[in-house]
Amino acid sequence: MSDELDRIRREMHAVLQQPGVRPDDSLQITRRTFIHRSLLFGAASVGQTFAWWPLLNTIDVAHAAEAPFKFAWISDTHLYPRSLNTRFVDKVVRAVQEVQAMDPPADFLIFGGDLAQLGKIEELELGVELLKDLKIKKYYIPGEHDWYLDMGKKWGELFGQPNWTFDHKGVRFIGLDTVSRGPDYWTAKKMTPEERMGHMATLDGTVAGAWAGVGREQLDWMQKTLADWDKSKPIVIFSHNPLYEYYPPWNFWVRDWREVNDVLKPYTKVTNIHGHVHQVLYNEIGSMRSIGMLATSWPWPYAPEGVPKLTKPMIRVDPGDPFDGVGWGTVNVNADDKVDVEYIMWGRKEVFVQSPEDHDKSIEEVIRPRIADNQYPWENP
Amino acid sequence: MINTSTFLCILRRSTVAGAVVAAAVVVGPASANKDPVTPKQLKLYQEAFMEEVRKGDLLFHGDAAMAEQLGVKLSTTGWACAMCHPMASDTHPHAFPKFQQSMAKFATLRDMINWCIEKPNQGEKIDPESEAMKALEAYITWSNTGSVLVPGKY
Ligand SMILES: [Fe+2]
Ligand SMILES: [Fe+2]
Repeated sequence: MSDELDRIRREMHAVLQQPGVRPDDSLQITRRTFIHRSLLFGAASVGQTFAWWPLLNTIDVAHAAEAPFKFAWISDTHLYPRSLNTRFVDKVVRAVQEVQAMDPPADFLIFGGDLAQLGKIEELELGVELLKDLKIKKYYIPGEHDWYLDMGKKWGELFGQPNWTFDHKGVRFIGLDTVSRGPDYWTAKKMTPEERMGHMATLDGTVAGAWAGVGREQLDWMQKTLADWDKSKPIVIFSHNPLYEYYPPWNFWVRDWREVNDVLKPYTKVTNIHGHVHQVLYNEIGSMRSIGMLATSWPWPYAPEGVPKLTKPMIRVDPGDPFDGVGWGTVNVNADDKVDVEYIMWGRKEVFVQSPEDHDKSIEEVIRPRIADNQYPWENP
Repeated sequence: MINTSTFLCILRRSTVAGAVVAAAVVVGPASANKDPVTPKQLKLYQEAFMEEVRKGDLLFHGDAAMAEQLGVKLSTTGWACAMCHPMASDTHPHAFPKFQQSMAKFATLRDMINWCIEKPNQGEKIDPESEAMKALEAYITWSNTGSVLVPGKY
């Protein structure tokens, strides 16, 4: 798209995706993980590539030393006030009912951000009300849609510290805040809070700049948090945004991916699970695996370029069915450190493309950046 | 063949090309011996087009002021076109007309735009000949410049 984008991408491949570096072998590719096998194990026939397995949107995690367990993921609910529309409320209700009905039950729920659409108090409170029906332990990380109306005030009152860590059955879990460190694009332009939020809520807007980042002090915190953790024990990191460069014009990245990689490099069993992209996504960056989860609200199309080669794309969605292309997920951690994600996409037995025509890029497109809002490439703070 | 007066007539009918009409009158072909197109003319045509692209971009991204200016209500749900189609991706203007399964008919891009306005956005369907429709069409096709025509492809 631009020379700047090409430069970033070439640099990321050179730094993060060096030949022969892959996640630890014990992080095996299992039946339900959606990696593009033909790319990992050599050329596959078209039949093998598209004859995939039925999947759900769940996450299984287990560690050799302790019991296997499962947890659930819901994110990107993008709730509007009930008075405006209830189209996304119905889907949260359904996801909550389904997570609650899991048998055996999930050990906990991760809510991966973008609970609200425009950060309003009544949107965030509606989210709390809907998730109240879910009785398991819940952990929250923020999305940009939750944050930029009041700069995280209401979110903090409801959910506390945006980054956190805990250990569970031999796995260290870390929740990151990748949204709160956007550059100040509002003060100089004297924006109202609503205007600030509006720019942040526009995926293909550029006024908010390269807002997604982990930040130096949070990186230091993560390094300290991991200092006492055995390098070969599993780590699962939750973030709203992917921790690598996928498509910066839509902020499908964090701008400080180099520093994130520096902190995580010594650890051999790192899995990052993220929201924000509203689509099935898989990548391996150095020794880290990265998994993008479904939204409950609506699916984004794949970016016009930069989709990781290891991603087995999800099915092309029927625009007339609001329950298509969306859902939730579980993660299973099993006895040999396999981290196994299951997508639960409503109304679909086959989550992944079965033929080229099932892919949203089956009609090739070349896309230009906008004209009414175009400040790319950004000047980074 | 299109003669000068028909050409001007077409331009005059357009609500958007006032500047172009004036320019065509001043510098355009006035006699039977037509002059070559000048860079100045081209620039005006291009500006007239890009002005519609800009309006379309704003409409597509839910800009309330532009919707009011053009007298349309494209959404009542808080939704805008760009929420599913950032940078007008996944709109595939180069594949229309085609059989569109969601409408169960052979459809044009304008049909599809109205379908999205009425169904997901729950707005008010717009006149296919309106400036708002042409602006949306201009933005969507401009954004997809470089895509290869594949009419009929589903
Ligand atoms: Fe989101
Ligand atoms: Fe997001």
